[in-house]
Amino acid sequence: MSFITTYCHISADQCSVNGKAVSARDRAASESWFKQIYKEQELVYPKFYKMDSLSQAGFLASELIKRENKGLTGRYKDDEIAMLFANQSSSADTDLRFINSYEHNGAPSPSLFVYTLPNIVLGEIAIVNKWYGENMFAVLPKFAPGFFADYGQILLSTGAKAVLCGWLGVLGDNIEVFVWLVESETNGSLNFNQENVLKLSGFNPA
Amino acid sequence: MGVRITGIGIVSAIGLTVAENLQSLRESKSGIGPVQILEEAEGLLVGEVKMSNGALQNELQTGLKAISRTSLLGLKAAKEAWGESKHIENIRTGIISATSVGGMDRTEDFYKAYLAGTNPDYQILKTHDSGNTTERIAAGLGISGYINTLSTACSSGANAIMLGARLLLSGKLDRVLVGGSDALTKFTINGFRSLMIYDEQWCRPFDETRSGLNLGEGAAFLLLENERSIGLSGNRTIGYVNGWANAADAYHQTASSPEGKGATLAITNALRKSGIQLEDISYINAHGTGTKNNDLSESVALKNVFGENIPPFSSTKPFTGHTLAAAGAIEAVFSILAIQNKLIFPNLNFQTPIAETGLEPAIAMQTQKSVNAVLSNSFGFGGNNSSLVFSKHG
Amino acid sequence: MENLKEDLKKQIIEQLNLEDITPADIADDALLFDDGGLGLDSIDALELIVLLEKFHGIQVVNPEEGKVAFRSVDTMADYILKRKS
Repeated sequence: MSFITTYCHISADQCSVNGKAVSARDRAASESWFKQIYKEQELVYPKFYKMDSLSQAGFLASELIKRENKGLTGRYKDDEIAMLFANQSSSADTDLRFINSYEHNGAPSPSLFVYTLPNIVLGEIAIVNKWYGENMFAVLPKFAPGFFADYGQILLSTGAKAVLCGWLGVLGDNIEVFVWLVESETNGSLNFNQENVLKLSGFNPA
Repeated sequence: MGVRITGIGIVSAIGLTVAENLQSLRESKSGIGPVQILEEAEGLLVGEVKMSNGALQNELQTGLKAISRTSLLGLKAAKEAWGESKHIENIRTGIISATSVGGMDRTEDFYKAYLAGTNPDYQILKTHDSGNTTERIAAGLGISGYINTLSTACSSGANAIMLGARLLLSGKLDRVLVGGSDALTKFTINGFRSLMIYDEQWCRPFDETRSGLNLGEGAAFLLLENERSIGLSGNRTIGYVNGWANAADAYHQTASSPEGKGATLAITNALRKSGIQLEDISYINAHGTGTKNNDLSESVALKNVFGENIPPFSSTKPFTGHTLAAAGAIEAVFSILAIQNKLIFPNLNFQTPIAETGLEPAIAMQTQKSVNAVLSNSFGFGGNNSSLVFSKHG
Repeated sequence: MENLKEDLKKQIIEQLNLEDITPADIADDALLFDDGGLGLDSIDALELIVLLEKFHGIQVVNPEEGKVAFRSVDTMADYILKRKS
């Protein structure tokens, strides 16, 4: 049996963990929304500033989940936590910024190019946590709870004891981020299945 | 428990079909040369597919709607793998494709309008993304069941094969086309240039003097079927995918760890999954991009796993270039060809072993010994490392 | 020379997205790629190559050359002056 034990939502104006609001956006501030969350939550990881918005979103959500679920890092071996993420627009946000760097700013930027692959966010999370488990990124036409349920079950039956799942909808100011942790070695109240993933996401069932 | 492969399709710098690719491999004929079709980067050595978009559209009859080169290449290879298969009522069919470029060639055009400041239509970005590329391929084959797109950089193609195999074994699908496609674009060329990992000359994987990669483009697909599907399709089994694994390197966004941790885990776990003993691996198709970093890290990983007894290995990227998301799939097809035809492909351009590891790849084509089981590696940016094991037997 | 070093620090901060760091935080001889310095990595090294072209018109063709030249703001300034003369 596996359970959804901890989750985080980030929308264009709100950030919440396990359903409780933890940050609200200050639209008047000059800083980006993700930087606001980073500072407000007093996270300390200077490499955060070099990440693109997709990686920043994934990093923030996973850090807030770890904070809420304090025993997490000790509970599993370093290759027992898998990661399964998806979105609709891949790295489109950063792709445009990269094109701009060579069409207009004189030279293609290597640090932007690095982020023109959607799976780099998984690399960032793996690096900060030293997690060596399986990690996968899919590009789907819309949020698909069934995909996460199926693939998540496969992961849990082939060596993973926990799966960090995430939908990272980040395109311009359209932000629909939902990251949740599935565990098989802790009891929870919410079974990991398609219906519960959809319900918890708060996204419209299309 | 292996999964049956009943079809293969490929389009690459060395051929537009499986037969053409096999012929070029036999003749040690590389497809790398100066850019010709793409209007960009004159003189850069790349592995271009020798067919224009117009010719592809004609052959594939894709109609008037704009379509990316990535989709065209993918559809050509997918059609070959699909072969004469039919759509049958209770055979649950799917397609999993992988890409890193997606519809970028169209987006590069869209961006010009965006810059002109005329209210850019963000809807176009939906066709930029990788999912649409797969949908065009699926539509071209009439597949409407399970359609999925993976995007994990240079390991994507291998990951598509891995997911397809798992879906068959877990009973979710009966038949699935798995593979990947990537076309050369200005975007990719500029990007890799900014990382300064090109070789100005023809790449030489695993050589001490190696200084980078040559980019390539292409697509390849495998058709995987379970017994029920084969019972109805009558397709012959041409090989099996027996083992697979993916692991994170957790080291750097683009560089591989010096101790090859992620690669070691992926290779070890794929072999364990296959149940095939180390000494029974006949050949390793390495990731072998020709960069200083990958080839050293991969060599260390091979030594970690095989010790002093590393099977014959080679990188086929001097033939095709580094085809990014398609690489894992293209090299899977090469692995099947190796098994079917008793071939061990040469690692072109090798002269001097890497000083730190001293490994020597196969330098001449070998045609005498049976090739029973092949390990194929694909390691992507973001530390996404995948390995697959193919063989003659389930 | 002092102006050049001061400018370099500002350019490094801008080009490498080093938030929360001011020029005053970067000592002239601090080892940029050390954890005790700015903790830069290989991608940052590539961005420094872009910086040299963008702000100083200098092309670094071989990334290996960069490793030596970019050790600190001092060595970067020396390198720029040498290339320009």
